[in-house]
Amino acid sequence: MTVPQLVQVNEWVWELPPTGGMRVPGRVYADKELMEALREDQSLTQVANVAHLPGILRYSMAMPDIHFGYGFPIGGVAAFKVDEGVVSPGGVGYDINCGCRLLATDLEEVEVRDKIKTLIDQIFRDVPSGVGASGAIAKLSRKELEQVLVKGAQWAVERGYGSADDLERTEDGGALPGADPAAVSDRAYTRGQDQVGTLGSGNHFLEIQVVDKVFDPEAAAVYGLHEGQIAIMVHCGSRGFGYQVCEDYLEVMGSAVNRYHISLPDRQLACAPITSSEGKRYLAAMACAANYAWANRQMIMHLTEQAILHALRISPQTLNLRLVYDVAHNIAKLETHETENGPVQACVHRKGATRAFGPGRPEVPAPYREIGQPVLIPGDMGTASFVCRGTQKAMSETFGSTCHGAGRVMSRAQALKHAKGRAIDRELEAAGILVRSQGRKTLAEEMPEAYKDVDRVVAVMDGAGISPRVARLRPLGVVKG
Amino acid sequence: MKREPKRWQSQNRAQVYTELEHPADLFLEIRGSDLPALFENALFALYDQLADLEGFSDSRHETIQVKAPGQAEALRALLAEALYLFAAGGFVATGATVSLRENTDGEVEVQADLWGETIDRSRHTLLTEIKAVTYHRLVVEKLPSGEWRATVLFDV
Repeated sequence: MTVPQLVQVNEWVWELPPTGGMRVPGRVYADKELMEALREDQSLTQVANVAHLPGILRYSMAMPDIHFGYGFPIGGVAAFKVDEGVVSPGGVGYDINCGCRLLATDLEEVEVRDKIKTLIDQIFRDVPSGVGASGAIAKLSRKELEQVLVKGAQWAVERGYGSADDLERTEDGGALPGADPAAVSDRAYTRGQDQVGTLGSGNHFLEIQVVDKVFDPEAAAVYGLHEGQIAIMVHCGSRGFGYQVCEDYLEVMGSAVNRYHISLPDRQLACAPITSSEGKRYLAAMACAANYAWANRQMIMHLTEQAILHALRISPQTLNLRLVYDVAHNIAKLETHETENGPVQACVHRKGATRAFGPGRPEVPAPYREIGQPVLIPGDMGTASFVCRGTQKAMSETFGSTCHGAGRVMSRAQALKHAKGRAIDRELEAAGILVRSQGRKTLAEEMPEAYKDVDRVVAVMDGAGISPRVARLRPLGVVKG
Repeated sequence: MKREPKRWQSQNRAQVYTELEHPADLFLEIRGSDLPALFENALFALYDQLADLEGFSDSRHETIQVKAPGQAEALRALLAEALYLFAAGGFVATGATVSLRENTDGEVEVQADLWGETIDRSRHTLLTEIKAVTYHRLVVEKLPSGEWRATVLFDV
């Protein structure tokens, strides 16, 4: 397939006019430099491919962290009319509800600067990480796991691993409705029974960060953030449970495509009508995996709190660890959005994209409703992460969505080549960032140069008015799987 | 005729598979002298990416049987089953033999015998968390030279 031709709409937005079987145009958010790097990238073809799917509303969109995925691009957003459209497991990805959680503390950088090693070593010991990590808590029975799948983060809170406040500050209260444990395979149960409370590997991480710069003091105050403050960011998802749910339903959708006579430019876009039995079952199973991920991040928050208290020998009151927000990066959700034709019920797919709901939306927690939800955007481990906020413009332009990270620019193989003969951990230590990792290979693959410039990516969505910057957070200590 | 199992040698990986460029995931090109050898080499590539095979013995035996409507789909199904054995059963293979039967309707039946060991985290080194074997850019083809080639994209 040829690379689609782009038309610049404004400083931040580029359009792929419909060609062939595209039902709507594609829209990409990027500045000139990011777009130049994308022009020959096959991810633009993937934006065009998504535009072929039935019931797609307005645009097939890509955020500035777009990179080549399978089926949908990473950084892709697409909304489908519930009564005419489709749901696609490939539009969510294998790591269902991979997401990000930000914890604020009452600690200041000056207090812990010389204790980062003690802190990161304790967290590395207490939060299981690495390939196939397991065993944070006792193996769950099937009955107990069913409770996790339905209740999500609330399951953990009911067992003393957190508070009701945490649930209020989690997207969807930490539990998507409609989760049906009967829609999940025995294999997913087997894979999920011992991984609640584990970080995993790859691009997942836990970081001790300091609030480096505040861009919007009013919003930062509402979110409870100030310069010099210590925060913790957690990035992980639904572990093997979610991977298995996606695997199971890609097979189901492969058959559904023929049954419903859906023509696809790429089989990894396999899908079914949202209202079909296959579509409903996938959404019910996907909700189970999303809830598993929220329970997972809630448990990790508890384990992290215990680790910090133990390492610093301080009281919970002195630490005052609290949840700022928890957002999903890989998910499909039924939401109501205003369109040219009035309010529409849509199934919004965000694959490597973050919800960015603006002021007034009932889904935004009450403490944040006046200014819009916090948007958490992790960068690479050597640079920075961002807290931004959702806006009304996001609601009208991107179905309330924005970017989810820096986005890779280098393949893993390239990164390994670049890392040859270097000690990435020592380089980071020299820059004031202590890293603990289960494997050197993951560390090399995740080296800072492997990612786009996160400041640049976030600046695009700030400039476009979709998710203005609130605060920049700089890593001090990193746990990688 | 039943093929003799041979222990995979990680130092020979360059003759068996190579990593192709892909910005986010693990994209492998695998080669084999015939179709069963291609499938065996694909299993080698998978386990070689998952773990440092040097530390594993061949004390545990596992079998995988899959059926799929084509060679490429059969290869993906075989690798997905092998990945499940790793993720849920803690099994890492250090050698395998594969036999295939292609039916007249295009359906391919695969039987794989794998030898390896259960992961012991105190002795073994795991390398890459592979989430899934995708359908994306999935190819199995016979080259003009008579050799077989496959490409498989793993989500990592």
